[in-house]
Amino acid sequence: MRKLTRRTFLRASGAGAVGAALAGGLAGCASTMGETQPTSRRRVVVIGGGWGGATAAKYVRLGDPRIDVVLLEPNRQFISCPFSNLVLAGLRSLDSLSFGYDGLRQRGVTVRHETALAIEPDTKRVRLASGYLAYDRLIVSPGVDFLWDQVEGLPAARDTVLHAWKAGPQTVELARQIQAMPDGGVFVLTVPPVAYRCPPGPYERISMVAWYLKAQKPRAKVLVLDANPNIVSKTALFREAWKAYPNIEYRATNRVIAVDPGAKAVRTEFDRITYDVLNLIPPQRAGQIAVDADLVGADKRWCEVSHVTYESVKAPGVHVVGDATTGLPVPKSGNVANNMGKIAAIAAVSLLNDKPVPSVAPGNTCYSWVSDREAIAVVNAYKIENGKVVQIEQRLTPAQSPAVAARAVGWTQSIWQDVVG
Amino acid sequence: MPRAHIAAVGAALLAAASAPPPASAQTPAPMPYETTVARVVTCAACHGVNGNSKSDAMPIIAGMDVGYFKKQVQAYAANARPSPEMGPYAKQILDIGLDAVAGHFAAQRMEPTPLKVDAAAVQRGRAAAAPCVVCHGANGKGDPAKGIPSLAGQPPGYLRDQIRLFRQDARNPGDAALAALKALMKTLPEAQDADLAAYYSTLR
Repeated sequence: MRKLTRRTFLRASGAGAVGAALAGGLAGCASTMGETQPTSRRRVVVIGGGWGGATAAKYVRLGDPRIDVVLLEPNRQFISCPFSNLVLAGLRSLDSLSFGYDGLRQRGVTVRHETALAIEPDTKRVRLASGYLAYDRLIVSPGVDFLWDQVEGLPAARDTVLHAWKAGPQTVELARQIQAMPDGGVFVLTVPPVAYRCPPGPYERISMVAWYLKAQKPRAKVLVLDANPNIVSKTALFREAWKAYPNIEYRATNRVIAVDPGAKAVRTEFDRITYDVLNLIPPQRAGQIAVDADLVGADKRWCEVSHVTYESVKAPGVHVVGDATTGLPVPKSGNVANNMGKIAAIAAVSLLNDKPVPSVAPGNTCYSWVSDREAIAVVNAYKIENGKVVQIEQRLTPAQSPAVAARAVGWTQSIWQDVVG
Repeated sequence: MPRAHIAAVGAALLAAASAPPPASAQTPAPMPYETTVARVVTCAACHGVNGNSKSDAMPIIAGMDVGYFKKQVQAYAANARPSPEMGPYAKQILDIGLDAVAGHFAAQRMEPTPLKVDAAAVQRGRAAAAPCVVCHGANGKGDPAKGIPSLAGQPPGYLRDQIRLFRQDARNPGDAALAALKALMKTLPEAQDADLAAYYSTLR
């Protein structure tokens, strides 16, 4: 349901004077549900404790410990999406990818496990169930949500048709279903049209499930219905890896348009396909709060931001980071979200101290597993040119190898600590 | 300390539950975002805060000699030291300013790897290190004036990987200045790599 922000309310009410009068009334009515955490210090509020938001909260504190930082995140644990495909193959536990927020608390971040209900950029407040939080600058790391309506039958089945595209209980349930699938069964995975979170993620998942099934259920099959005309990322490397998996049937340009969980069937524009286990990854957009707060563009999906400060082009004082952003030549990856979180934090600290904002470019390091012991990677380096992020170079690993896999593990050791340590 | 220590890395690669250690109790000085710090803050994703990597695969670049740092970045950028990761990032460093970045990391205090290694492996490594001492010194700190890097306190996984790359002539392939080193590596038994790496990771 669309929440009424003060901004949309004012717009709906028309004349500013009327709006101002009504706002006065609102403020009065809010007096019983007032500021939930009064402070005399300058404050940065961060919405969302994933890769972008947790990093941003930490790096504001690292840059200026005089700034009060409040992180709003309903979940009590950070669960890493990167490496969660290994859970589906029984190679990692979800526990080994799950971390609490005590590291951030020790750095002086106030972590509140609450949901931000609305953003009020005009009064610089975030609304919560218990009242509001005033901010001097706001960093929103909303992640992604799903466009359920784009697949017929999915809105009614959104809790039972698994996406497992946010690491958590669905990851564990999908792993359980794959393990329980009969030998000879069909595992159907549907890849959404770009843009979506983690471009190589579906193909790593396909590799992991194919590896598992090849060893455990040799007559079972992985059927891939890809809405895109080809493998979206690391294309040649995945094609090479899949030579070891004759149990993969890959169909390009096969967009799923309907699902019928009762009949265990999905429909594309061409076929009706029955499955034993389904992993339907729906089309995506920015997380709900970004849509509610009208931070998304005309496409109603993604948020356009400054390439230097990550400030929203639509709401002054509000920075947006991570998968929800658009317009930069970067993938929607955890590494990029982590980098954006830092750069937005640097911008917020600089602006609050009346200092110029340095031009800092992100980078992307992205590993994908293709078997129990081998991985591949893509790396993108960037620079800032005329206020815009420009790619310097993209490079892929020449081949899959255990050495790349070892570096993938090394990357998690470093970056998980960078995010929540 | 981390609730599940990262020492399990290596043989038990996938079994390792590698939790990030909590922040230290002391309040560090604010990071000066108006300096080069801001432009290299993204390096921490792999190399740790201020270049003090806590991971097994990524080297510690805090406290690294300026000359050695610059030479490696240039080699990465020119693909003389081939690396899918550092090739692109070296070019990003050149865009930021090599002198500033090298100077920044050289000025950081190096924290030796926190990874624990098997004491018996360290003993074997010490005994096997005689040929290495000739260049890298008894303390493993190398000789910056001659461009010989310090190995002391680097992560064992990284050291082991470099021994392998030298032996295969995959690091700076064809570089005449490294020919003698690579010839030496070929004479060392592979089974000893982990011991040597363990030993040098414990030097301070």
